[in-house]
Amino acid sequence: MTPSAAPARDVPEALLQIRDLRYRYPGASVDALAGLDLTVSAGEFVAVVGANGSGKSTLARILGGLEKPASAAVAVACGHDLLTEDGRMAARREVGVLFQNPENQLVAECVEDDVAFGLENLAWPPADIRLRVDEMLARFWLTELRTREPHLLSGGQKQRTALAGVLAVPRRVLVLDEPTAMLDPAGRAEVLDAVRGLRAEGLAVVYVTQEMDEVVGADRAVALDHGAVVYSGAVRGLFGEGDLVRRLGLGLPAAGDLALELAARGRRLEPLPLTLDELVRDLGWTP
Amino acid sequence: MRPAIAQYYPGDSVIHRLDARAKFVAVTALAVALFVRDSFAGLAVFAAAGVIAYLLSGVPVAWFWRAFRPLLWLIALTFLAQVLFAPGEPFFSFWVFDFSWAGLEFAAFLSLRLVVLVLIGSVLTLTTAPLALTDGLAWLGRPLRRLRVPTDELALMVTIALRFIPTLLVELDQIMRAQRARGADFSTGGPIRRARALVPVLTPLFVLSFRRADELALAMEARCYRPGIVRTRLRPLKAGAGDAVLLAVTAAVIAAGLLV
Amino acid sequence: MRDAAPAVDATSAGRGMALSCRDVAFSYEEARAPIPALRGVGFELAAGRSLALLGASGSGKSTLLQVVKGLDAPEAGAVLLDGTATGAPAYTGLQREVGLVFQTPELQLFAVSAREDVAFGPRRLGWSEAEVAAAVDEAMELVGLPPADFGGRHPYALSGGEQRRLALAGVLAMRPRLLLLDEPFVSLDPATRRELASILRRLRRDGVTLVLATHDVDLAWALCDELLVLDAGRVAACGPWDLGESGRELLAASRLKEPFLVQLWRRLGRDPAGAPRTVAEAAEALR
Repeated sequence: MTPSAAPARDVPEALLQIRDLRYRYPGASVDALAGLDLTVSAGEFVAVVGANGSGKSTLARILGGLEKPASAAVAVACGHDLLTEDGRMAARREVGVLFQNPENQLVAECVEDDVAFGLENLAWPPADIRLRVDEMLARFWLTELRTREPHLLSGGQKQRTALAGVLAVPRRVLVLDEPTAMLDPAGRAEVLDAVRGLRAEGLAVVYVTQEMDEVVGADRAVALDHGAVVYSGAVRGLFGEGDLVRRLGLGLPAAGDLALELAARGRRLEPLPLTLDELVRDLGWTP
Repeated sequence: MRPAIAQYYPGDSVIHRLDARAKFVAVTALAVALFVRDSFAGLAVFAAAGVIAYLLSGVPVAWFWRAFRPLLWLIALTFLAQVLFAPGEPFFSFWVFDFSWAGLEFAAFLSLRLVVLVLIGSVLTLTTAPLALTDGLAWLGRPLRRLRVPTDELALMVTIALRFIPTLLVELDQIMRAQRARGADFSTGGPIRRARALVPVLTPLFVLSFRRADELALAMEARCYRPGIVRTRLRPLKAGAGDAVLLAVTAAVIAAGLLV
Repeated sequence: MRDAAPAVDATSAGRGMALSCRDVAFSYEEARAPIPALRGVGFELAAGRSLALLGASGSGKSTLLQVVKGLDAPEAGAVLLDGTATGAPAYTGLQREVGLVFQTPELQLFAVSAREDVAFGPRRLGWSEAEVAAAVDEAMELVGLPPADFGGRHPYALSGGEQRRLALAGVLAMRPRLLLLDEPFVSLDPATRRELASILRRLRRDGVTLVLATHDVDLAWALCDELLVLDAGRVAACGPWDLGESGRELLAASRLKEPFLVQLWRRLGRDPAGAPRTVAEAAEALR
């Protein structure tokens, strides 16, 4: 693969196409994924939500070509068949995966070496690696930290470094597996800022999370329960089904939570307010 | 936080810019010559070379001292052992120990030799990034690949191990504190009791390390790593004229040291 | 958590312990210069009260908790437990009644069964086996892991949320009168977060003094009577939640927002000092 070559074949509308995907961990008695369907197109930002153990992380691994599905009617990522070894290897080049624990993703002794790791594995010429790494460092505000050792970075800085490393390899799909779960609010804001610009570049983003506040800006929400999709559609629609959200062990944004409590007491706000502004407006207060 | 041997002082001196392989070869050759030659004159030549290299490196004395400090005991012990037990005409006796001028001289020689060795070795580790050093070693070890020794993979393993030492130390400290907060006591009792007290520390540390290994492997695969692939490097090893000069100077120093 | 869990009787939980810190200073030894982590921290917390410890990462929250527990000795100043200072004969005994729950405490589970792990602390206190067994049963019930169902399970075979609660039980079994918690809600799903909050509310009702270091301002607001904001090792704010303009600025300076319900009350033109502590209370007031 040469550095400048964006894949030259037709860009299919759907970058991820999954139908009836199944997976079971060795020794487990139930399927981690039980007939899951998912389609994600270029430029789309899809939030995947579900409680612990609902299959979110397994899905992230499979989309990244890092785990072999037990079976699937269709499992295609960027045109590569995830059911075959060759397809998974090819998918790994185009589907980036950012994991939850920032500490356990950094391999190298300093920031810029870590960002370069993926390109080194793809045997890019050193001069091209240098250019691409510098570009990534600048884009994720890491240039000044380039020679910093990983253990001296804050959580947010570590996660930005990992993200820069994932995106240094030119990607068409980015899967983020609860990237803010282990960060403090400052680190969380850093990572969300970094993720925000990605959609504009035509990247398909699958954002796995339990933080309902982070879901609000997504194009589409997909809710998982016991390894299957139980909701797929507008974010607002998901929250509208307050019962579903609670049954799945998820939390609503604080405004929605309060609105549901109000509804239980006979004061119904429609549609369900999700932000403080909406709640204040719906409660009939005009400043 | 780091073992002294891996202490790297980032910089841009003449010595820093030299290729890791050239530096490693030069230091190894000097170390061998140092042990072959057994005269103070030879020692003086190698010491002078070491001091000049150190001065060129621009490394602060404090860093240098940190590399030295842990070895002081070893050097002192060597000196004492030689003084007390080396044969020779005694000028002073005490109990079973005989002190001789020859013994004193030999002890001084051996200790100084150790000092010079540490000096030269420290210049290497202080001015060479661990990554460059492991890469250099992997390159030098390439002939071993024919014997199916996975030198590149080993080098990557060493890099990762170095990267995680500080993390592991922090985790160890945290777990010990947490168990102390639950009443664990690591500092009293005999050796068996103390060893048993470590079970609540080492068990979680192992579990944590295994989980880390899993996650790290996954993250590496996600960035297209596979054992056995041909990799390029952000900072390729590049030998230049300076490295030729280094090797020539080293050869000259060794010749001088062996001949004086 | 199971609703059926029996209430802890007042004698076993004991009355809370009063805590006061006077000009506490502490610094970490680093390669060259020691880094000050606490610089003259002083506050008073009456027995049975709960304190939210807020502040950015690196502001000294964890350090303060460890100094209070006695894992680090303060370089200057004093930590008084029930008015007793270090060095007094009773101090060691009082210090044993201080419980400290570390961040991600599940990482410290080590025993071959849940029951054994919880029993570790009580055994170190030199209690008889019967007392240990009673304390373990009680603590496991309290965190919603009934010993009959969970006692024999291997700690590593539990889910993430169960592990977190088991680790908490390991500290509660030592019957602390002052409980220090370091970021207890980090990386939990919303459902587990709610369960944990209700456990803490329960401890508070039982009269245990609580210190809760957290980034989650809303949970701090729901659970704590008082507030201590640390900024670079100094006390930036201390006392009952200050809901005036200056209080809001202080929180903002530490990169914290005001609790959601306080913001809401302010926006609705109501007195923020009278803002409800929980969503249910808010819904009652707004129905």
